[in-house]
Parts: sequence; C-alpha cells; structure tokens
Amino acid sequence: MAKSCVMITAGDGYLGLQVATRYLERTDEPVLIWVHAQEQPDFQAKQQRVASQLNRFADRLTFGGGDLVDEQPFQGVKPERVKLIIHSAAVTRFNVDADTAQQVNVEGATKLMEFASRCPSLQAIGLMSTVYTSGLRAGPIREVAFDDSGGFANHYERSKWQAETMLMSQFAELPWRVLRVATAIADDESGKVTQQNAFHNTLKLFFYGLLSLIPGKPQTPLYFVTGRFAADAVFELMQQPASQMIYHIAHTRQESASLGELIDSAFEVFLQEEDFKQRRLLKPLYTDAEAFDLLVQGVNSFGGGVVNQAVSSVAPFARQLFIDKAIENQHLVERLSAYRAPDPRQLVRSACEYLIQTRWGRTR
Amino acid sequence: MSDVFIDHLSFALGDETHSVEDAAKNGKTLSTAAVLREAGFIQHHVCRDGASAYDLAKRAVEPIREKLGDIGAIVYATCIPINGNIGSFDKYRQSRDVKHLMDFPASHLQADFGLQRAIVLGLNQQACTGLLGSLEVARMLLLTEPETRRVLCVTSDRFPTDALYEQSYNLISDGAAACVVSMEPKGYRLVAWHGITNGAMSQASDDETVGSYFNHTHRLIQETFSKAKLTIQDIAWVVPQNTNMKAWQILSRLLPIEFKRVYFRSVPEVAHLISGDNIVNLKYLDDEGTIRPGEKALLVMAGYGLNWQCVILEKR
Repeated sequence: MAKSCVMITAGDGYLGLQVATRYLERTDEPVLIWVHAQEQPDFQAKQQRVASQLNRFADRLTFGGGDLVDEQPFQGVKPERVKLIIHSAAVTRFNVDADTAQQVNVEGATKLMEFASRCPSLQAIGLMSTVYTSGLRAGPIREVAFDDSGGFANHYERSKWQAETMLMSQFAELPWRVLRVATAIADDESGKVTQQNAFHNTLKLFFYGLLSLIPGKPQTPLYFVTGRFAADAVFELMQQPASQMIYHIAHTRQESASLGELIDSAFEVFLQEEDFKQRRLLKPLYTDAEAFDLLVQGVNSFGGGVVNQAVSSVAPFARQLFIDKAIENQHLVERLSAYRAPDPRQLVRSACEYLIQTRWGRTR
Repeated sequence: MSDVFIDHLSFALGDETHSVEDAAKNGKTLSTAAVLREAGFIQHHVCRDGASAYDLAKRAVEPIREKLGDIGAIVYATCIPINGNIGSFDKYRQSRDVKHLMDFPASHLQADFGLQRAIVLGLNQQACTGLLGSLEVARMLLLTEPETRRVLCVTSDRFPTDALYEQSYNLISDGAAACVVSMEPKGYRLVAWHGITNGAMSQASDDETVGSYFNHTHRLIQETFSKAKLTIQDIAWVVPQNTNMKAWQILSRLLPIEFKRVYFRSVPEVAHLISGDNIVNLKYLDDEGTIRPGEKALLVMAGYGLNWQCVILEKR
C-alpha cells in the first residue's frame, strides 16, 4: 500500500511551493501538490513547471488539480492517501470581488474541509490565513478566534475570516490549525522579491513619481515577514502534535516597522539612486481615508492605466493603514525552535534595494 | 517692503464654444466626454481659424484700456512659446530672415494701446504658472525701477489648430487674461509670492505630472505661508487653476481648508484657460462681491517645466 502523503493546495504558489519544498527536503514523506487548473493543458503546464524545479524529488512527488469553484475539486485525490493537508489555495488580492472571494476562499475552503473529513488517516489540516482576519479592530490581536464585530477592510479579509470560522465551528472535530500569515515582502532577509503584492506596487508608484499621497497614519505598525520565515514556520507548526491551535506567523508590534518608517526607509534607499535623486521627488503626504477615497474615485479621470491599476490594488487595504494593531505571536514563539525577528527597517531597505536593482522584476 | 497692488482684472476667451461631447467627438481630447464631465468640465473655448493668441491678448486688454494709465512695463506671458511670436514661419522659410521669428506680441500690444513709455518683457518658460510669475516680475520692477509705476501683465495662448485640447487630463480653452500691477493701493495687495521649479521633470508624462501634483502643491503652499508668516487660517479663499475638481477636494483636506472656500466656479464654463485661470476665478469672486475687504486669497498654479507658483493677495 502506498505511503500516505502531505497534500498542499496551491502547492505551486508562492508559499505553497516553499512549504512543499521543505517537506521534500526535510522529511521522507510523499507530497501531493494540488494546483489550480481549469483545463488539462493548464494543469500540465503547472505540473511541468513544478516538476522541473523539484525533479530531484520526482519519486515522492505527485500532482492533482482542479478548480475550487467546481462542485468536487478534489475528486481526483484519494482521501485514504492523505494524512496531512495544508490549504494555501485562495485569492489573496485585496481587491478581490465579493463573489470570487465567497466562491474560492469560503466555499472552496469548505469543500476542502469536507474532503478532509473523509480522510481516514488525517493527522493535521492547516488553513493558511492572514493576520487581517482580525479585520478593522485595533489594539491587542491575540491568537484566538475572532468575531466579525469590527468589520473588514475588504472581501479578502472577510472571506478568510469566514473560512477560519467555518473550520473552527462546523469542522471542529478535524485536527485543525489556523496559520495566520503577515504580509510577505521578500523571499528572505537578503531582500530578494519573487512575488509582488500591494506593498511592492505602492513602492513602485512612489519610485516612479506616480503617487504623492498615502492613506494612513505614520505611526501605524505594519506586519511584514519573509517568505522563508513563513514557510519554515508553517512546516514546523504542522509538525506540532497539538491541534485546534491558532498561530500568528508574524512579528510583534515592537519587532515591526511603522508606516512612517517604511516610507522613510524606502526613500532613503530611493535617494541612493542617481536618477531618482535628480527627479527630486517628494515623500508622499499622509491623507485621511476620505481624501484617499476621493483619489481612488478621481484616478479614473486624472490618472492613467498604470496608476489606476496600482491605486486600485492598494485602496481596499487603505483602511488598515489607520489602525493600530498590536499583533501577538505567543503561540508561534512557544512552538518554533528558533524564533527570530529580523530588523524590520533593514528588511524594507533590502527589499527596496532589490526592487530598484531589478526595476521591480523587469531585469531580474 | 513697499506694497504693490493688483487691479483691473480682465480676460477673453476663444470665440467658439464647444461642449465636451463635441470636443471628444472632434478628436480634441484623450479622455471621454463622460470622464471630463465628471471632472467638472462642460465646455471649452477655441479660437476660430485665423484668430491668433495676440488677438486674444488685445481682447483681454481692451476692456481695461481706460484704466491702464502710465504703464512703465508690459510683462507678456505665454504658456506655449510659439505664442510669443506672431511672425510668419513661412516668411522665415522663404527669406531665411530670423526677424520673422522675433515679431513679438508685447511690442505690438505696446504700439496698439499707445503705451509708449512701456518696456516689454516676455515670459514663456513657466507654462501655466506664467501669469503668477509675471506678477512677481512686475513687483520686482516696481520696487527696483523708480520710473516704473504701473505694469501691465498679460497672458495669452491659443493652441495650434490640430492640437489636442487636453493636458494632464484637463480640458483646455484658448484665452487671455490681463491685470495691472501698481503701487496704487487699489484692488488686491500682493502679500506674498513663491515658486518652485523641478527642471528634472520638465518632460514629465501626464501621469508623472499628476503624481507629483499633490505633494509639490502642498509644499509650495506651506513654503508660501512660511515666507508670508501666515497660516491656512489666515486664508479666506483658495483660487486655483481650473483642474479636476476632485484634486482640490483632496488638497482642501490636506491643507486643511473647507472645500467651499476653494473658489473655481469657472471650471464648467471656461475650462482650463492655461495660465489665466486665477485671474478668471478671482474676477468672478470679485464681481460677485463674495470676497470682502481684508480677506486674503491664495492663488495656486502648477504647470509644465515643472513649475509651481503661488500668490497670496489681500482684498482692499
């Protein structure tokens, strides 16, 4: 009988692939990488791409695929083969629309949980989530279940909160753990960036002089991690015997940079670049939420496509930039063998240096 | 510092009026009519064929002809440098004589209005900020040249016939504006002037222009206040250029000043009159009697170059 495996949804994604790699490198477990693919050619292309990166583990690697919006996205996977699931498949854009967020992040996750319920030898299921399922609440953010009383900044946050709630209530009997990850801004402390998100898009607008406003308060803390830290933490936390646990894969407020420090650090790096220095671009002005909303509305009429696209990707997160959260990570620190937070300002600087050198990935 | 004053505001618009829909239909805009309407524009003014920027200048000065008095200097600003010459390029091509490239409208204005004592100065590298720049040049002349007691400031532009009438997402009108700057305590006292030029961005794209607008304008205004030892609380009215109304909704929150104190009522019917917007809006404000004696108005402009200029005036 084949050995049961570790199944990772979106195992070809940014974090999913790094977690899969850790299982392959650090254990002798077989790994099943489940990829989002609507059609066979898409599935084959993704399979080929991952297989070529992990070809040294070919004998322990299998693939599955489907679409979370399908009725039975996991029908190709035999439940009895799976002993551990990490669900990282989700739409993580801040500007995801309500329907897509519901279909993929909530209903898709529910289908995964139903599938997990049918896995007879399941030892653990990890739901990759976000520290922003805390929504718009300020103050201490503990590693506990949240309610929705604070409201949410966007459909992404709400949908991930719904998925967490679903897991902890309707699938409470599963050996679950919720892994709330902060924003990954670099692969590791060298500052290398493989996957860009709203953080990188916003810095790009500032560097190219396309945005002179930033919503938020300079003192608002921002929670950043590296991809390596997040993947290591996920791997280690999934080895823990204790279930029904919530972890914040994040650093604390004291270990994090503020919005003001982020902007200052970024401009310090930008100013080392001769052509940026020559253009004498000014730091952005901090605006209230209403003024930024006006900019978002107005960008259709006084901004081109690039600005419009980038501002739209940042806008749904804007309300978070006014909220002083104190993320706690006690569970994480207790479970990790060697927890360490990087210098947050240095991490930002390193990421900015990489972004400039590669012109945001164009000359990588 | 001796005080100088600005009075006798006047302007003229291109003689044909077109709706934003017509402008868009005729290929004069990059944005759709709906987007321009949302920005606050309804129509714009274009010179008929054969009408020149100088014709507009004359039309702007004509209503104040009797008020000009003993003009010692004319400061003639154009946004587009080609409007600083009314000579024929074809004649230059035929003759190769550069005098056809130096047929200056300010000289014509001096002659046509009989301003015989006036010297002329052209200001053609400040784009939309030219008229505010001319006020400062006038102030300097008045304070340094004892024989100069009155200065006529004029700005006039028409776009080339085939040009787009949209710049940085704003609908443009051909037009001219004029005023008299003197030491006669009438009209508005010039309280402060300030300018910023960022030459490294002289060929900025529309998106870069918009991208730099808010923080540079904010800095410009703060530096002007600092120069004048004033604060936003001292300002009764902001009189900006005719741009997307949302831009000033945002800036009013940043300064902060109530948006109802931002006066650019001419946006829908006049559109962006290159460097004449401040004069047009100030004249509206004045004619309505909305601005009261002792109140201060902040005039703000941004333009290619990139240039930003700001003036604080106090109503007499």
